[in-house]
Parts: sequence; C-alpha cells; structure tokens
Amino acid sequence: MSVEVRNITKTFGSFTALNNVSLNVESGELIALLGPSGSGKTTLLRIIAGLEFADPGTAQVLFHGEDVTNLPASQRRAGFAFQHYALFRHLTVFENIAFGLRVRPRATRPSEESIRERVTELLKLIQLDPLANRFPSQLSGGQRQRVALARALAVEPKVLLLDEPFGALDAKVRKQLRRWLRKLHDDIHITSIFVTHDQEEALEVADRVVVMNEGGIVQIGPPHEVYDRPANAFVFNFLGNVNLFQGRMDDGLMKIGDTELHVAENLGTSVSDATVYFRPHDVKVSTEPVGQESIAALIRHINLAGPVVRIDLERADTGSRFEVELNREQWQGIDRRVGDRVFVDLQRVRVFPTDHKTPLEDFSI
Amino acid sequence: MAQRKTSPLPGFRLTLGYTLLYLCLIVLLPLAATFLKTATLTWDQFWTTVTAPRVLASYRLTFGTSLLAAMVNLVFGLLVAWVLVRYNFFGKKIVDALVDLPFALPTAVAGIALTAIYAPNGWLGKPLAALGIKAAFTPLGIFIALTFIGLPFVVRTVQPVLEDLDAEVEEAAASLGATRFQTFRYVIIPMLLPSLLTGFSLSFARALGEYGSVVFIAGNQPMKTEITALLIITKLDQYNYAEATAIAVVMLVFSFVMLLTVNLLQWWGSRFQQPH
Repeated sequence: MSVEVRNITKTFGSFTALNNVSLNVESGELIALLGPSGSGKTTLLRIIAGLEFADPGTAQVLFHGEDVTNLPASQRRAGFAFQHYALFRHLTVFENIAFGLRVRPRATRPSEESIRERVTELLKLIQLDPLANRFPSQLSGGQRQRVALARALAVEPKVLLLDEPFGALDAKVRKQLRRWLRKLHDDIHITSIFVTHDQEEALEVADRVVVMNEGGIVQIGPPHEVYDRPANAFVFNFLGNVNLFQGRMDDGLMKIGDTELHVAENLGTSVSDATVYFRPHDVKVSTEPVGQESIAALIRHINLAGPVVRIDLERADTGSRFEVELNREQWQGIDRRVGDRVFVDLQRVRVFPTDHKTPLEDFSI
Repeated sequence: MAQRKTSPLPGFRLTLGYTLLYLCLIVLLPLAATFLKTATLTWDQFWTTVTAPRVLASYRLTFGTSLLAAMVNLVFGLLVAWVLVRYNFFGKKIVDALVDLPFALPTAVAGIALTAIYAPNGWLGKPLAALGIKAAFTPLGIFIALTFIGLPFVVRTVQPVLEDLDAEVEEAAASLGATRFQTFRYVIIPMLLPSLLTGFSLSFARALGEYGSVVFIAGNQPMKTEITALLIITKLDQYNYAEATAIAVVMLVFSFVMLLTVNLLQWWGSRFQQPH
C-alpha cells in the first residue's frame, strides 16, 4: 500500500507548520521523517493519519492512489502509535489490542473466537502473551509501546504511522525496540512512516530518510546517501557531530587560516564566505606535519572514557576550537598531553556557503 | 530486625492523632449521641416509631426523590461538565460560576425561590398547571428542589477528570476505527466512571439530608409530601427527642449502607488505576 501526499500546506494561526510538502512512499517501505522540533514532521504524520487536516486547496493525501484527503481518521485504516502510547488504561492488554476489532460494525466484526485468535497471535508477536490480563499501568514503557503497536496492527491497517515511538523510553530499551521494529517490518512488510528527531534512530532503522526543516523537506534518500552526501549545511549539521571552519573558496581551493585545502568537488566554484564542514572522526592526527594541508593545533582536553578518544583542539593559527575522535589504537600512536602540538589532516570535508541565519545549532539530545 | 517504613515527611503521629481527635469530636460524638439517645427507647417502642405508616411513607418519598434527583444530576451534570470543558463560548466563565450557586445560596432562600416559581400562579407553575402538571406541593416539587441542590456535586467532580483526559486516547480510538459514539461509550465513559459515581453519591447523600429547600416547596402533607427530615423536626418540636433520634438512626444506617455500596462500586470501577 503506497502513500502519497501532494502540496500539503498547514498553518496554525500565523505559524506555517508545513509549506507545500509533497512526498511519495512506496508500498512496503519503512520511512523516517527526521527533523528538529518545529520542523513539521509530526504535523505531516498526523495529516496522513487524518488526525489533522491540511489547509484546503490543492492538498491531497492518497493511499494506494485512492484519495483519502477528506476522510476522517476512523475511516482511513491507518494504524497510529503515539509517543506516550495512549493506551486505554481501563482495559487490559488483551482488550486494548482487541479494541479495534470490537468496534467494527456488526457486519464486518469478527467472531469472538477469531478476535481471541488474532489477539493471541499479536501477543506472541510482541512477546507479551503472559501479560494479557494486566492493565497498562502495570507495564514498563517498552512493553506499553509494544502493546500500542499490536493494537494498531490488530485492525490490519493499510499503513503504520509512528509518532516518536521510542521518544519516551530510556536509551537501552530504545535501541532494543528499534531493532525489534526493524525486524518486525522485515517480517510483515507493512508500509510504515515514523517520526523521530534522533538521527541515529532514523539512520539505523529506515529504508529511506526524509530530512525536514522549517516546514519543508530538505532531502530524501537512503540512510548512507543522506549521511554521506548531505544536500546542504543543515542536513550535514543535523545528522551528527560536526566541526566547521570559515574561510573563502576560490575555484576549489579553500582558504582557512594559514592552510589551503584542495576540494575536488568544488572545482570551478568561488564563494567569498564559505564554511568547511567535517565530522570529528574524518580526520587523521599526527605528531609531525604530513603535507601542505596539515593544520597545526594544540591539545586542550582529552577524554579517554568510552570506545573512542575525544580530543578538544585549538588551531594554532586562528585559535578556533574543534573536536576530533580517534580510536584507541590511533591514539596510542600519538599519546600526547594537554598543551602539546599535533597536526590534523581533514580526510573528508564538505564546503557550503556560510549560513548566517543558523550559525551552529546544537541538535544533540 | 525489620525496618520500620518511614515517610520522608515528618509529623505522621501528630497529624494522625489530630485527624482522629478531630473526626471524633466533629463526626463521631454527635452520631454516638444519636445512638445513645435512641437507646433510651425499648426495642418495641423503637420498632413502632420507625415503622409507623407515616414514617414509612416519608422514607419512600425521601429515598425515591433523592435517588431520582441524583440520577438526573448524573446525566445533566455530565452534560454541563462536558460543555464547560470541551467548548469555548461567550460567557463560559459566568456559566461556570453559576454551577456553584446552589452551594452558596442559603437553602431556605432556594426553597422560597423555587416555591414562588413553581407555585400554581408562578412563572413556571402557571404554564405547567395549564398542562395539568402540579409542581409545587407535590413530590415533583421535592424532586426539583433536590435536583437543584445536587447539581454542583456531579459537575465539580467530573470536570477536573474530564479536563485531564488525554486527547491522544480519543485519537487512538478514532485511528482504530471507532465512531465518535463508540469512543464516548467505550473509552471516555469508563474513564469518567469513578468520578461520576463520586458525584452521584455526593449528590444523593446531600439530597437525603436536605431540609431547608424542600420544606417550602413540599407542602408537607403527611403520607404524601412529608420528607423524613421534616418528620424528625416535628418530633423535636414536640420534645419527643428519643423518637426523633430513632428515625435519624434508621436514616443514618440506610445512608451508610448506600454510600458503602457506591464506594464499593467505585473501587471496582477504578480497579485499573491501582497497580496490583
């Protein structure tokens, strides 16, 4: 079941939550809508679900080519999972899952026996069959979200929509549950769209990632493509830790401080106010300069805790601070102290015109 | 040695002691006095007093009209609370304040006002009389007065719970294919049930003991429109204290059993909130 939205605009008073957004989701895909808060991702999901309606005009929502733009949520058969689960607290786990089947019109309502069968099957799927008679208040957060997913799946929805499904869970459960979701999707292949502000989650789980910002779609692509080939500075910035150096680009030659970098992909472009973006782990650190492009820097702080060694550096020429990450082996080959001088070679960089509107926002949680 | 459970807040003994003393002085002592005074009667005297035809008729009237009024308040109180929580309209604050009026008004004032309106020559009494309905000085009048004084209880107990209901739960029901009515019937009502029962029992209890607003509109004809509270007052006026307290004791026991039942129902209705 494919999902298509066309020309969706949504305003709340003077605030534009979505600005002419179109998106096509193939049948059986698992899509992540990724963006910071206020980017419109949840609003888009709710419009697909029928819980919210786009501003009237040329807006269209299509389920498998069928126009459902004006159908209410109850007639769209779109399963929806909420960040805070929204379970019916007066019903047991079993009855929560059975709810969607029990409220069907008499003509299409399954028999008591087949409801029991279906619910039991789903309880097995979410591995909670021993807890069928518990109330939601007696479950942990991860268990509640699995019940919420089973409840949504019980009605055999055409599409599964998840709004920050793991947002309220602690880090460990969150990781388990998103692997479980990926596996579940590989088993049942239901077209699914989930909203998240956690880039790691989106990159790990989704077939395709839709990066959103300020009410629009910035980039769509498979996780590795979005990560490796970000369309603009915002995407690069949002998808992980990033360092940036400002300078000027002159026909593929980027001048930053005393150093000149050759950036092959920018041959032929000249920008007087450009910024070099690079990830902390895309560097090579050495004790002696390797070549013309080595940047001299002083060690300001070393953090040895965890699988990677994080080092805060200060450039010798401009004094600007940046962070690099090395694995333990690489660090052993260097082994300098705070205050010592090292040389940094940038392995993979992207250059974008300097964005003065959003200098460097910290999107980490 | 087993460790004593301690609360982070100090003063458990002090507050519990104060609570018990206070309840004894304010509630238990007068109630005990009622029982003690009744005990001055012999069993036969007691039984004759509390089963006299006039007294039995007053029980039926009091409990019947109170129950009916509480049920009407249950339905319309929910409606008022729903409108006040779910909709925004001009003058909402005023309507909200109006709900409390039956609390604030001296009951005698309410009684006189209701009597004036529902009397055969009153604003509402006249058109009703034209339809052949007599409101004042009939059980219907008593029912009207009891409905009036009981309304705030249901509204004020349901309103905060309704305000706290998560909109997402209704959206979840809709996304599962439930119609608006099904969402209301199978999701909202069960969640409101404990507060509805509380409101109902408070309204019912208040109606059972109501005196001031009823005596004016009731007409107080023995066997027809005489409520139990009035009978008790009449006995007191005749310095027949023991008989007065005997009837009071019967009322107390009845009320207690009823409230206990409602409380049990409520416990059953809210079992999903208790981790067990």
